[in-house]
Amino acid sequence: MNRLEADVLVIGGGATGAGVARDAAMRGFSTILAERGDLAMGTTGRFHGLLHSGGRYVVRDPPSATECMQENLILRRIAADAIEDTGGMFVTTPWDDPAYAAKFHDGCKGAGVPVEELSAAEVLRREPRLNPRISGGFAVPDAAVDAWKTVWACARSAQEHGARILNYHRAVSLHVSDGAVTLAAVMDEATGETTEIEAGFVINATGVWAGRIAAMAGCGGVTVVPGNGIMIAMNHRLVDTVINRCKEPADGDILVPIRTVSVIGTTDSLVDDPDENAIGRDDVELMLAEGERLVPGFRSVRALRVWAGARPLFKDDKAGEADTRAMSRSFALIDHRERDGVERFLTITGGKFTTFRKMAEATLDKMCEQLATERPCRTADETLPGSESGHHYWIGARLAAREGDLTGDQLICECELITRHRLEDAMQRRATTNLDDIRRTLRLAMGPCQGGFCIYRATGILHDLARLDGPAANNSLRRFLEERWKGVQPILYGDQLRQARLDDWIFQGLLDVEHLPESAPA
Amino acid sequence: MDLIDRLADEGAHESVRASLDHCVKCTICESFCPFSAATPLFPGPKFVGPQAERFRDPTGSSPDISLDYCSGCGICTQVCPQGVKIAEINARARGRLWAERGVPLRNKLIARPSLSGRLATPFAGPVNWALGNPYVRNLVERIGGVHRHAPLPRFAGRTFRAWARKHRSPVAPKTIVYFHGCSTNYFEPSLGAMAVAVLEHNGYRVIIPRQDCCGLPLQSNGSFDAARTYVRRLAASLAPYARRGHDIVATSTSCSLMLKREALEILDVDDPDLAIVSARTYDICEYLVLLHERGELATDLEPLEATVPYHAPCQQRGHGIGKPAMELFALIPGLNAVDLDIDCCGIAGTYGLKKEKYDISMAVGDRLFKEVRTAGSEVAACDSETCRWQITHGSGVPAVHPIELLYRSYNLSG
Amino acid sequence: MIYDAAVIGAGTAGLAAALRMAEGGLKVIVYAKGVGSTHLTGGTIDVLGYTPHLVEHPETELPSFVDAHPDHPYARLSVATINDALGWFRGRMTTYDYTGNLAANLMLPTAAGAPKPSALVPETMAAGDLRGGGRFVIVGFTQLKDFYPAYLADNLSRFEAAPGLPVNARSVTQRAPIAQADVTPLSFARHFEDAEFRKAVIAGLEREVGGSDAVGFPAVLGLGEARTVCQELQDGLGLPVFEVPTLPPSVPGMRMFNALKRALSKAGGTVVMGGPALGADATGERVEALVTAAAARTRSYRARHFVLATGGFASGGIVMDSTGAVKESVLGLPVAGVPPTGEERFSPGYWASHPMARAGVAVDDALRPVDADGDVLYANVRIAGAAIAGAEPWREKSGEGITLATGYAAASSILESDA
Repeated sequence: MNRLEADVLVIGGGATGAGVARDAAMRGFSTILAERGDLAMGTTGRFHGLLHSGGRYVVRDPPSATECMQENLILRRIAADAIEDTGGMFVTTPWDDPAYAAKFHDGCKGAGVPVEELSAAEVLRREPRLNPRISGGFAVPDAAVDAWKTVWACARSAQEHGARILNYHRAVSLHVSDGAVTLAAVMDEATGETTEIEAGFVINATGVWAGRIAAMAGCGGVTVVPGNGIMIAMNHRLVDTVINRCKEPADGDILVPIRTVSVIGTTDSLVDDPDENAIGRDDVELMLAEGERLVPGFRSVRALRVWAGARPLFKDDKAGEADTRAMSRSFALIDHRERDGVERFLTITGGKFTTFRKMAEATLDKMCEQLATERPCRTADETLPGSESGHHYWIGARLAAREGDLTGDQLICECELITRHRLEDAMQRRATTNLDDIRRTLRLAMGPCQGGFCIYRATGILHDLARLDGPAANNSLRRFLEERWKGVQPILYGDQLRQARLDDWIFQGLLDVEHLPESAPA
Repeated sequence: MDLIDRLADEGAHESVRASLDHCVKCTICESFCPFSAATPLFPGPKFVGPQAERFRDPTGSSPDISLDYCSGCGICTQVCPQGVKIAEINARARGRLWAERGVPLRNKLIARPSLSGRLATPFAGPVNWALGNPYVRNLVERIGGVHRHAPLPRFAGRTFRAWARKHRSPVAPKTIVYFHGCSTNYFEPSLGAMAVAVLEHNGYRVIIPRQDCCGLPLQSNGSFDAARTYVRRLAASLAPYARRGHDIVATSTSCSLMLKREALEILDVDDPDLAIVSARTYDICEYLVLLHERGELATDLEPLEATVPYHAPCQQRGHGIGKPAMELFALIPGLNAVDLDIDCCGIAGTYGLKKEKYDISMAVGDRLFKEVRTAGSEVAACDSETCRWQITHGSGVPAVHPIELLYRSYNLSG
Repeated sequence: MIYDAAVIGAGTAGLAAALRMAEGGLKVIVYAKGVGSTHLTGGTIDVLGYTPHLVEHPETELPSFVDAHPDHPYARLSVATINDALGWFRGRMTTYDYTGNLAANLMLPTAAGAPKPSALVPETMAAGDLRGGGRFVIVGFTQLKDFYPAYLADNLSRFEAAPGLPVNARSVTQRAPIAQADVTPLSFARHFEDAEFRKAVIAGLEREVGGSDAVGFPAVLGLGEARTVCQELQDGLGLPVFEVPTLPPSVPGMRMFNALKRALSKAGGTVVMGGPALGADATGERVEALVTAAAARTRSYRARHFVLATGGFASGGIVMDSTGAVKESVLGLPVAGVPPTGEERFSPGYWASHPMARAGVAVDDALRPVDADGDVLYANVRIAGAAIAGAEPWREKSGEGITLATGYAAASSILESDA
């Protein structure tokens, strides 16, 4: 049994957890972050990619809007590299109540969200693929943000300040003695080994899973309802600006250009199990129909992949019955000392990506208060690793990089312009044998062919780096195909169906992956 | 659904950029691209087209200057099994590339054959001498970026339009409009005269309206605004005839393709004049084959005992009509026309004239030159002027437009 | 001009059908929107590999397979026809010989190292037959990203053809004398046609291949001169040499395409590549003309017979839109094997059997398209290749067998009806 010690143990490696770990480390606490899977594999890795200006909340929840705008500015400064300055527009389609526009405008002014009114002609000049029946719009400073980059940058920053990041380490128990959480046990998913961590403080930053972790410390009744939402990535950038419908927030009213794709989303259905990631056919149909309203011809555009994420909707049983529809999207910081009489334990849940840094700040401030120590937050002051230049992400970056070296390196994932060196580097750095981990890190196989050509190559390279024997590599390949299918099957039509058939031909007809040797049973 | 509507939906009008969605990464296009095979400077049509396009900001510049090594031959679009308009995506990206960086002076000059034609024609003799002089050519290469061995045509001195002004087309029951293009006017006026004679022989009164360059060289060199101006002007001069119900035939397969679809697909010229001209524009061989299918082609073709190797230019194949020249050759008794069925001669319009691209161009055309030489014939046939000049340059064999063989077979030179 | 036959699609099925008809004296035109399946096949003719059980003897197992799958394209053909098609094909592949027959499948390694059953294979691949076990050395090149010899060899070494017949494979990776880091299979094939290049490769491998029974290369050993290239490598290394097909576009597939196209040209056939085929002019039970999208207008091709070889979903011969509506894209023929609207077309598990896996155009024994009642829709149309309903070629390992045999049979049917 391994033993580790730290001032702070953060459980949960999404944006909140990574932000908390960074803040803690920067404040001089020795920090360990434990995440049961890969960083940003939970809700953070499955959200829309929208860095809110706050426009979405100006009418219903102005304080939330103001908070978004403030954090928007901070993140643009400290995480410039992970953000593409697309700008955003709120547009009024024939299906939107025209009266909302004035409310929206006033709401922006009131909440401090910079807003500029645009004529219909201007909206269409900026984004010619939009519905010509749009009657007008507003420009706001929305942006597109790369969640993985941000989370990994936070983790790296935390590491630079001395933190340890333990991914693929699942929290299995919390030990409470004398009314305080003193010990945590985490299990290494790869080896099955357990590590005991003696922590001065434990922060539960597991988002939609927060209830389970809180329960481990005897703090029951922390209910985080998973608000399931699906998103569909369309093969190319239909727009280069974040497009919102100018109306009461509802389903399918946002289209975000993220790197090489456009993502339409999202839906809102309460589910029981946040790990289910269910994708219902009706939800897909709804996304396509709403997409068609924004971009005529949307249904003929190639859909690449669909996924679901679970929003953490906090509902505190102990605080009394709350109307589920009005569950706040604001974050919830639960002081377990007050609520449950359990010391040295905080839960931070709810919230949205845009405000993760603030959530972390509030959490650390609370922790410092309870530890009776004054250590100011500097997370808004220091830029994240990779963003030192202050330059925002630019869509042409990978193309320019490849242009600089056309003959010196091999292109393994051609769709997403990933070179062999980059891939091998990531495989070695990440010390992972899971192709999906690499996918998340580099966007491998996230282009149109969804791995049809590059995954065989990546498997061969993984094997070449002597990380796996044949059967283990085959297993990684098969698992990848199965995982990919989940995201493709619900939107399999048109061009993507052609691709899938070609890929079936490659993997089964040509490579015959099905009949590759399997690993001997354990 | 009416098939013409279906043509509109699926054929001409699907947005070029949106067609990148059809790419399944099979890379078949790259296996047919003659230019990426000849130089590592061109990463290939799939890379530069549907793949890189996803990384381009439509309003900003393309960071990949390597796309300028695309010749625009269009073979990729032809062989793509999925209907991706690859060459057109590349062409549009090239336009944005040069709009951002500024079109080099050299490209501006070689892209205006009608301008150079107007300036040089009065001095054809000395100009031709100079362009044939190795010292002058060396200088031109060093200063102007045009390769010293590039197959530049000779100025004819007397333009086709000058001939046309003196020519009276006999009154006839049918009327047709002839779009001769810059090359016929300034470099090959005799081709124009032959085309007119063949048409008249087939019962047409031939109208030769005022006309200028179609803008294709400007488009392929990235000067999109200038190209649009030229093609609009051309469409405006031809449209009145099209509206009166007259068909338009062209002897340059690249220029007629510009009118048929490239001006719309690459330059976005969505213009009622162009639309009506487009619908009425035919390649001359295409037109004669259609006449033949209706039983209206004059069949008094006399034997031509010869073997003639035929090269269908890339942009002729881009019309999607097969090889009508070969069908016409089959009607000429004694003529053994051999379809060389080789991809590209390498010139790609103005591409092969450029100092940095000449060697690539010659490497691409090498196999074709060899085949033409070994055919051992007196002439080769090819529908595009720049290809003819390249073939002659590379093989030493003179090359003629297919219409010339018909002219001879009809025995019209008397 | 009225052609005797117009073939739509230039894949293996289309080219085979066209060639057979041209040889039979018909005036044939092939119209295609692009290059077809030839460039995607590995180059082997896989007739039947899995039922899902491994098929060792296709000739003897086809009848029971067909009984179990009465809607399969093979159910429309006799074993004799399939045999004839293979024999006919062997005679047309002039680049090199094809070896094998329906009596027994060879087991050739795939690029991942799985043993795959194939009935007819290029002679350049035959030495890779795993049925007798053996010691193999697999060669890869650092500049070829589509081939991983170590991975292949690792997997291959775990295969035992039969008790006592193990396969022992190891790998060698060589830096080929090419300056660029990223070289396509086609580019490699062209390099291999240069004698100096071959010499350099042989010199680099001479000392590495000892102790093996055969040397495996990625399938890049030349284009039109593949036979010479392999022979020289064999002579130089002193061992049998074989190729392993890898990712598309396939060099052996290109050889097939070139050979068939050349033969078609010699036999007087024409190939036109243009925009998509839009539809047909039909009167009653006969198609009169194919209407295609040319630049600025449609172009019609009139013919007495038509072969629809437009493929399945992969090529867009059959399409499904976002509402789940399925169409055959040229003639608008009814598509069989499509679940009712609203029902799942695909199962949630990747390896599961999918409800819409076998969708396609249903045909009668003459390969004419039929409706749900079995009535012929067009008397002068035949369907060939992946457009036909009833098969799951990537699972069965039957892709080339189907395209070749149905292309051949469609042509035979037309020739017979013309006679």
